[in-house]
Amino acid sequence: MKVIDIKNLTKIYNESEVKVKAVDGISLSFEQGEFAAIVGPSGSGKTTLLNLIGGLDKPTQGEISVDGTDIGGLNSSQLIDFRLRNIGFVFQAYNLIPVLTAKENVEFIMELQGKKRIERDERSIELLSAVGLGERVNARPSKLSGGQQQRVAVARALASKPKFILADEPTANLDSKSTETLLNIMEQLNKEENITFIFSTHDQRVVKKARRVITVEDGRVVSDEKRN
Amino acid sequence: MIWNISWKNVWRNKARSLVVVCAVTLGTISGVFVAGMMNGWVDQRIRSAVYTEVSHIKIQNPKYLINEELKHTIPNITEISDFLNNSDKVSAWTKHTKIIAMASTSRGSTALNLKGINVDEEIQVSNVKDFIVDNGGDYFESGFKNPIVISEKTADQLRLINYIISQELLDSITDLGADANLISSLSSIKNKRFITEKKFKAQLESILKPNDIKELGAQIMKLAKNYKVRSKIVFTFSGMNGEMSYQSFRVCGIYKTNNAMFDQMNAFVKEENIATVAGFMPNDYHEISIILKDDKENLTSFKDELSSKFPNTSVMTWKELAPDAGMMADFMKIYYYIIMGVIFFALAFGIINTMLMAVLERIKELGMLMAVGMNKKRVFSMIMLETIFLTLVGSIVGMLLGGALIVIFGKIGMNFASVQEGFEAFGWSAMVYPSIDLSFFLGVTIMVIIIAILSSVIPARKALKLNPVEAIRTE
Repeated sequence: MKVIDIKNLTKIYNESEVKVKAVDGISLSFEQGEFAAIVGPSGSGKTTLLNLIGGLDKPTQGEISVDGTDIGGLNSSQLIDFRLRNIGFVFQAYNLIPVLTAKENVEFIMELQGKKRIERDERSIELLSAVGLGERVNARPSKLSGGQQQRVAVARALASKPKFILADEPTANLDSKSTETLLNIMEQLNKEENITFIFSTHDQRVVKKARRVITVEDGRVVSDEKRN
Repeated sequence: MIWNISWKNVWRNKARSLVVVCAVTLGTISGVFVAGMMNGWVDQRIRSAVYTEVSHIKIQNPKYLINEELKHTIPNITEISDFLNNSDKVSAWTKHTKIIAMASTSRGSTALNLKGINVDEEIQVSNVKDFIVDNGGDYFESGFKNPIVISEKTADQLRLINYIISQELLDSITDLGADANLISSLSSIKNKRFITEKKFKAQLESILKPNDIKELGAQIMKLAKNYKVRSKIVFTFSGMNGEMSYQSFRVCGIYKTNNAMFDQMNAFVKEENIATVAGFMPNDYHEISIILKDDKENLTSFKDELSSKFPNTSVMTWKELAPDAGMMADFMKIYYYIIMGVIFFALAFGIINTMLMAVLERIKELGMLMAVGMNKKRVFSMIMLETIFLTLVGSIVGMLLGGALIVIFGKIGMNFASVQEGFEAFGWSAMVYPSIDLSFFLGVTIMVIIIAILSSVIPARKALKLNPVEAIRTE
């Protein structure tokens, strides 16, 4: 089942009268349960592509449909709501809310979705246990290591029960041990829960684990390799 | 949870928030306390206007207002009396005769408003009785013939105050810690009578050291003051028939209110002691003073009722008779809010600055919140709540401390003795007891919330303009 269907996607930035084609006519689709990595050198357009898929940026041309909805046709407030209900985000710099505990950070998304307290309580503890932080639910981000913070970020991304998770260079700031742990957790969630993960990365450790590797250069897909 | 985040965000940069909180606290304390002080003054002025000077409502002959001749007495006095006796809105009332007379003693003279009163009724309406000074006799309690109550100011003008260093004074001063030198200096003028304050002061300055005068001068002046109660005063005035009449009175009491002007003008005698010689008939009165049970509720309506029932009289409320106090009563509440408004307006700039810094240093986090699905309304609410919390904390602490100061100084009072004369010339007491309505605090709280909401607009707009993609990438 196709979760994301991208047709002829183009994004042009107008920077001081010079037009930069960050994404140049990409067509791609992602199935439910994929564990895919978008790779490429710096400036190749992988982050722009990820932002377009996540509805954070608007395409200049082309179509992105998520579960049948053309997100190019949504206005900015519809897009915010769409992101809240359909997409989970994991950022390079974790971006947790520093004044909230791990559990509250996870709960917060569910509160935005209007979920009841009991459900929030149960699910946030369940998710934090799943990422191996069952003992640290009440710790603030400043008391957690980088790897632990990124695991909280993964739990937060999962909290809204999204259709897929976009992770922009999630391991860039982590040491090898933390990267290993994080990747194992995401792989396990992918296999057991059939959750779709799409990474942008140039970390070979992520590329090794990925079951599909899409290579982007100069805004175009130069290879799309599926592995078993 | 937005409330939770907002509250926690306020304390993220403790030092910065505390600076704003302290500024708001200090601003609120000063605003609340100044309002309390002014309110205390106004309350005192109104109480003095009503219970000492003019009562709630006064009825007079309209012609008397134009020309204060004795013949312009109040018409229909019997009907008015019956009406007032039967009205359930009236707490107390009394009638006065009023004569403008020249008062003289062997040493001085002055013009006075001689009010003929019924003592039993008068004490229900006026509190002049409470202002009889220490050692200044009493309020018509002595049994002698033709008693009169005059003010200290009048006594001074008629030279009825003198200054004596008595043995009692020396004893009291010794108790206060005066040394032997001072006592021996004072003893040199023991029992000598000084007939003016000026001469006594000059004498003290010549025999005492400047330091002693600074420390004990005021106390010595007060203790040496000797009122010549029972002195005779002769009044000259033109009676009902227009001929010059004379009547002598003996001072039975000396009063001093907070209003120097009132004191200078008014002396009180029993109505029966002046009626015959002035030629008043039994129902000849120049003014009726009324105290209402509930003046806030009934003042205007009762005035209108009286005016329409007795159209040939002039009915005036205290707000018209003491327009300064009336104006203050109506205007001061607004004025307190203006004071608070100005303070908070100035503080708003500090609040805006702090919140802008708070937004700018959290660009990445705000971008993340918008990326993961926090809509603009929620982002706006979060920043608005943060501003409200930040401002409200300071103002609540400020209101509590300001309120506590009002309660403390409301009990012990604040003495502005150094400017006493200037104050009393306008009918203001030099002793202020700050007070404030609880509703004022509610008003201030609402005001703080409004100011906080307005102050949050600029920082919140800044946050809403963020592009999540760019915000997340900001290092």
